[in-house]
Amino acid sequence: MPDQKTSSDSVLTQVVGYQEAFTHQEQLARKGSDFSEQKGKVSNNINKLHPKRLHLDVVDIFEDTPSTKTLRLAAPNKTLLPPFQAGQYINVFVSVDGTNSARPYAISSSSQTREYYDLTIKRATPGFVTHHLLDEISLGDAVTTSGPMGTFYHNPIFPAKELVFLAGGSGIAPARSMIREIADRHLDYKFHLIYLSSFENDVIFDKELKQLDADCDFLKYHKVISRPGEGYQGMAGRLTENRLRELIGAVDGKMFYLCGPTPFNDACRQHLQAMTVKTRYIRIEANGPPKHPENLPSWPEQLDPAQEVTVTIQGRGSFKARVDEPLLNSMERHGYSAENACRSGECSLCRVKVVSGSVFNPAEARLRKTDAQYGWCHSCVAFPTEDIEIQI
Amino acid sequence: MTEFDAIVIGSGNAGLTAATALQRGGAKTLLLERHNIPGGCATSFVRGEFEFEVALHQLSGMGTEEQPFIMRQLFESLGIMDKIEVVIEHDLYRLVLPGEIDITLPADWDGLEQVLIEAFPLEAESIPKFMQLVEAVSLESFINVPQLQRNNDQEFLDTQCANYKRAALRSAEDVLQEYFTNQDLIAVLNAYWCYLGVAPRDLPFVDLAVMIYAYAKFKPAHIKGGSQAISSALLESFQQAGGQVRFNCGAEKILVRDGEVRGVEAETGEVFYGKSVISNASPIHTYHELLDMPELPEQVTHDLKSRRLGTSALVLYVGVDCPPERLGIKSASTFINRDRDVENAVAGMHTLDVPSSIMVTCYNLEDPGFAPPGKSALSILCLQYGEAWDSIENGKYAETKYQLADALIDYAEEVYPGIREHIEEIEVATPRTMMRYLNTPGGAIYGFNQNTQDGAMFRERMDSIGGLYLASAWYGMGGFQPTYMSGNTTARAVLKYIATHTSTTQTLREATENA
Repeated sequence: MPDQKTSSDSVLTQVVGYQEAFTHQEQLARKGSDFSEQKGKVSNNINKLHPKRLHLDVVDIFEDTPSTKTLRLAAPNKTLLPPFQAGQYINVFVSVDGTNSARPYAISSSSQTREYYDLTIKRATPGFVTHHLLDEISLGDAVTTSGPMGTFYHNPIFPAKELVFLAGGSGIAPARSMIREIADRHLDYKFHLIYLSSFENDVIFDKELKQLDADCDFLKYHKVISRPGEGYQGMAGRLTENRLRELIGAVDGKMFYLCGPTPFNDACRQHLQAMTVKTRYIRIEANGPPKHPENLPSWPEQLDPAQEVTVTIQGRGSFKARVDEPLLNSMERHGYSAENACRSGECSLCRVKVVSGSVFNPAEARLRKTDAQYGWCHSCVAFPTEDIEIQI
Repeated sequence: MTEFDAIVIGSGNAGLTAATALQRGGAKTLLLERHNIPGGCATSFVRGEFEFEVALHQLSGMGTEEQPFIMRQLFESLGIMDKIEVVIEHDLYRLVLPGEIDITLPADWDGLEQVLIEAFPLEAESIPKFMQLVEAVSLESFINVPQLQRNNDQEFLDTQCANYKRAALRSAEDVLQEYFTNQDLIAVLNAYWCYLGVAPRDLPFVDLAVMIYAYAKFKPAHIKGGSQAISSALLESFQQAGGQVRFNCGAEKILVRDGEVRGVEAETGEVFYGKSVISNASPIHTYHELLDMPELPEQVTHDLKSRRLGTSALVLYVGVDCPPERLGIKSASTFINRDRDVENAVAGMHTLDVPSSIMVTCYNLEDPGFAPPGKSALSILCLQYGEAWDSIENGKYAETKYQLADALIDYAEEVYPGIREHIEEIEVATPRTMMRYLNTPGGAIYGFNQNTQDGAMFRERMDSIGGLYLASAWYGMGGFQPTYMSGNTTARAVLKYIATHTSTTQTLREATENA
């Protein structure tokens, strides 16, 4: 290929079509723009849909149950927030006792309401960030978050018109957003919510859901209490396969959404599979790093979870960390950080390179095929199994 | 104080290649990337059990082990041939006009001729002549024309570049019409127009010829692990050679003093000093957003005014829970057209109408490793300009996107029924998605439109700012091979610049600090 401009005395100017192209270029130049009108357009567009950070204010706080509050976040200038798909989350950046960290929370308000995002936060035990959000945040406080993200949402391309949502505890948040969206948009879906809570007085959105159940044809709401008090009349116990069969009936053509603690999600998935529901009909929300990686079958044999190793951040410093603590968490506690959002191994924003030593990657780590070859891991769900050096 | 010989902005194909070639060529190089992963278009993402290839459909220029071609040499020189595994594809493509045309072309020079003659016997005489022209124009363009540029010899033009002279710069449409009367055959032969995003009427014949020749003679290829495997290998090679990389570190400003680049200020606030800056970002972004100059050089504005923004794409990444044969897929690449006339398809690219031309790629057909066992990884795409989305308000974005995606699935099902009912994972990328990840105006995937007049022989190199280089799809053919090659060519030019550039980084730094 010719790799430089043809001079006017070059024989190449005799190539058929050369003169026409040359003339065409001159015509275009006369009519064309230098693209300065594009200035700022790309970043504007990106920021409206996928801002890296949102700076929001807490404009309302609702006490849902003894364990749970809903924080309502809005833009200080009351502008509309970026759109999201019901089920998606935002990552909330916090500073707790000198440690900068973050946690993702599903938006529980309707995707049709863009004046605010509701985040429904249930106290975790033991907890770190939830305590801060529930106890330290008050009306008018500023909060920094990511834009909406995540792959747990109802995709209208999936042909199913009957959605079954199995929620556990705070896993109700994305379900509420989906229900609100169906109601607001009058979508022709049936939505069956089966909601497991530990205690009768800790059923988040119970009143609202009952009301919607009564008012709306599309919604069916079943509440199950796993640790009922004496005299509780409603459904109690766990979501066993039999109970699911009984509540759901035929599974054909139904799409299942699972959102709760990891053991809840795992159990529900197994029940559904036993009921011959295919993987393509089951969507499961990611739910943080495994709490006890040492109990996973692939955990290195004889590695004591309490063991400490040295983590060296190339060119910057090092610290000691337990092998059963996610790398991102220990990094944050020692003043290092990596961009992050899902903190469940999925979004890959916290990807770091392990230069020496090895880490344990649980199934939560949705690594790319070539990551292992060069030592890349998702630090939010990676556990150092020996002394390691990483690049961030 | 951080000082470099070269700072590369962006780790797309051209950026990664330039950075790797520079560092391996002895230049102390810093690579800045605004995302957390290298590759730009050449990347992948994971959904459920699937890892989806983002952009690579058929890698050209590799050749086979027995008959290696130029990209193997390039990857060898970049130190990655031992890090990647090449998968050779056996078909060029299947082209379907539902109910009218259905033909599969083999990736084999002689086989291609046979298949075309069998399908179009009335054109049996013209087909070999056309293929001879394709070969001759390609070879002359690769080998003879660069010589001609040096010797500027009339006789050399007339004898050694005769086919190039006669056909290369005419439109592909014009040359095809000269050889053939059967419009079906023309529709079959110009299918690769969509790899460039330019209609055959506006595409120089040489571009189509080179594609047909390269793919048919040297076969399309894939790399195990997808294009991300190439990007990751390049990054590794760059780092092994001592190159420094910063992820989540977008460039904010290219610092210029006295007409020469001085370095780059990053979004983190850090300033990196360097003798040269290679921008893998679009020229529009480079000149209008990054350059720290009150007024652009006349050379630049003049060039920009004669450019037109290229196309973007709407892409569905689809994981289905059945093997390719269940859907009837026997070719990795299928073009499905509604219309023989590409002009209609091109007109539709400016709108949100259901496209008349789509492409379906099945990644695991030639390499089962591309999908989980018993499942398939597909992409269904159409080309579309970013402007088509300008009128869609943000609140309607998702809805619009899924409606179009639905229409594309319906369309693909005309040839491969059963896709929808087997969908296990699906992600829809629009021009706005391309914009988000590539940071290009309109989400352009191939840079500026590449008409005849955009070719290098019609263009000056943008050299009015000392030490600033652009390496990307914007100033040349889009796609994988061209961008890798442009990165490499740019690196050579930069190495020369660094070698002849006398000022030391020390004085650079002082000059900047004292300013």
